[in-house]
Amino acid sequence: MNFFKIIFFLGLPAMFVFSCKKDEPKPPVDPDHPDLVYDPTPYQLAAPAYFPLLEMPADNPMTEEGILLGRMLFYDPILSGDSTLSCAGCHKQEYAFSDENQFSTGIDGLMGDRQAMPVMNIAWVSDLFWDGRAEGVEAQALGPVENPIEMHETWPNAMEKLKRHPEYPSLFFYAFGTWDITKEHAAKAIAQFERTLISADTRFDKKFYLLDPNPFLLTDEEIEGHFIFNTEKGDCFHCHGGSLLTDNLFHNNGLDANSADEGLGKVTGKTTDRGKFKTPSLRNIALTGPYMHDGRFATLEEVVDFYSDSLQFSETIDPLMKNVHQGGIRLTAQEKSNLIAFLHTFTDTAFVHRKEFSNPF
Amino acid sequence: MKTFKIMAVAMFALSMFAFLGCDDEKQPGFVTVYLDHDVAGEALEFDNIKYTSKAGHPFSVARLKYYVSNVTLLEADGTAFEIKDVHYRDAAEASTRSFSATNVPSGKYEKISFIYGLDETVNVDGGLPNTQTNINMEWPIPGDQGYHYMKLEGKYDSLGMGVIKNFNLHTGATMGNQNYIKISLPLSAFSVDGNTWGIYLEMDINEWLENPNTWDFEEFGPMIMMNQNAQEVLKANGSTVFKIDKVEKE
Repeated sequence: MNFFKIIFFLGLPAMFVFSCKKDEPKPPVDPDHPDLVYDPTPYQLAAPAYFPLLEMPADNPMTEEGILLGRMLFYDPILSGDSTLSCAGCHKQEYAFSDENQFSTGIDGLMGDRQAMPVMNIAWVSDLFWDGRAEGVEAQALGPVENPIEMHETWPNAMEKLKRHPEYPSLFFYAFGTWDITKEHAAKAIAQFERTLISADTRFDKKFYLLDPNPFLLTDEEIEGHFIFNTEKGDCFHCHGGSLLTDNLFHNNGLDANSADEGLGKVTGKTTDRGKFKTPSLRNIALTGPYMHDGRFATLEEVVDFYSDSLQFSETIDPLMKNVHQGGIRLTAQEKSNLIAFLHTFTDTAFVHRKEFSNPF
Repeated sequence: MKTFKIMAVAMFALSMFAFLGCDDEKQPGFVTVYLDHDVAGEALEFDNIKYTSKAGHPFSVARLKYYVSNVTLLEADGTAFEIKDVHYRDAAEASTRSFSATNVPSGKYEKISFIYGLDETVNVDGGLPNTQTNINMEWPIPGDQGYHYMKLEGKYDSLGMGVIKNFNLHTGATMGNQNYIKISLPLSAFSVDGNTWGIYLEMDINEWLENPNTWDFEEFGPMIMMNQNAQEVLKANGSTVFKIDKVEKE
């Protein structure tokens, strides 16, 4: 009798073990600040359905509180050595969070040799910077603070300034549930804010993804430009295709016969990667000049002239630069003009004016 | 209590019956398909102009990305089991080298068939999950739809004297033609019965350039996405690019 009972009832406790719901973790309360409660509000990124599937880092879930903190840190010069330069100093909303200058100027008046990349749709970018040296947005956010030609600060100093600040300690607590402010938390907060910077409100989206029936949405010239862009006539789409207008890969696009900047090659150590750079998204391209990794072209006209007529051969030039042997795609003046007209349909005017992306101070 | 005792005995007897009954049943197995590449028997090495096409051009390979789909094992009587619906292979990414099925029914398999590319049911806009990889394979030519089936890209010496040009063998549906390739390869028959098998498929990249048609990089030029004649040549050549390297128990 007991034997049968044992067999039959062995499963019952196991059922309870597996079906028991874990107690919800209680919000931590700091004894020195009993009035403050850590209870962050989860934030769901509002991404267009036609954007690529999104992989978010499991260790940095987005919250309203994290985004608010990140927005403040993005715009606050407190993170720089002399408290004069913020992230937004070189990533300006009016230029889709890029810099209108060829090279940005750091707090010591020094300039780099790469153009500041725009910050938009960054949640879908895996390897950041022109040379891909930062694996994720959090890793990218750590870089400029200690870069001697940019914000020229140390993270320990920056942390001290934040800890002494009347508001930041509690903002960190609301965002991360700790009074121990770390650079990792700061980077996570900045990354959360940057992931909200989604740009997808353009005539290009309305026409080709939202299928707006308005026949006058694009001009004839813009439609002609679309055909050039999305066929091998212009062959822009192999690198700048899809809804993000970038393949998120690295290419040598034929700027130089012998690239002075090794680009990806310096990161990977491979000679076959020399002169390769991240494909930038063409969203808001009319706002994000000057162009290329070194900002050598001031206008879109110069960019299209380059792809049409001035490609330079090198050992690592991408095979997709199919017509390098004849200098480029050889567009007529009208074709160039149509192509540029199409590039302007990527401009998201609402994005550069959205209040929730703007300076909170 | 008596009822309870009878129930417990009955459950025990039933489980023993089920256990012993399995004794003569053949078990499903585990099959992995590997996709490897060479050039005329030489291991594929990227970015090195070390191969020669039948048309006489020294060439290199920079990229090889493609889809295989409807990968199916067949028994002699035609009984079929689909191992994988769609698989994306990037020859530079080891993580894409193989795919597996864990529940292959027991049986003696004599053939593997698959589509090189995607058939018309999948090859439509949005036919594949919206990953960055699939988006990068999209075929946005106005009027056409779907995805590139293959991107085989590299450089060649156009005159054999150092004038280097780029080539891009991009295949896909164009001008109303689907252009995917149905491939069927006999296997050295193997029996699935609770065991694990590996099927190693090997693509000879040179086959794209020589069998049955000699592909001259100069003839069609670097842009063939809207050139159905070029697509036809590659479609014919593509049917022999794969061979079975080996089938072995793992």
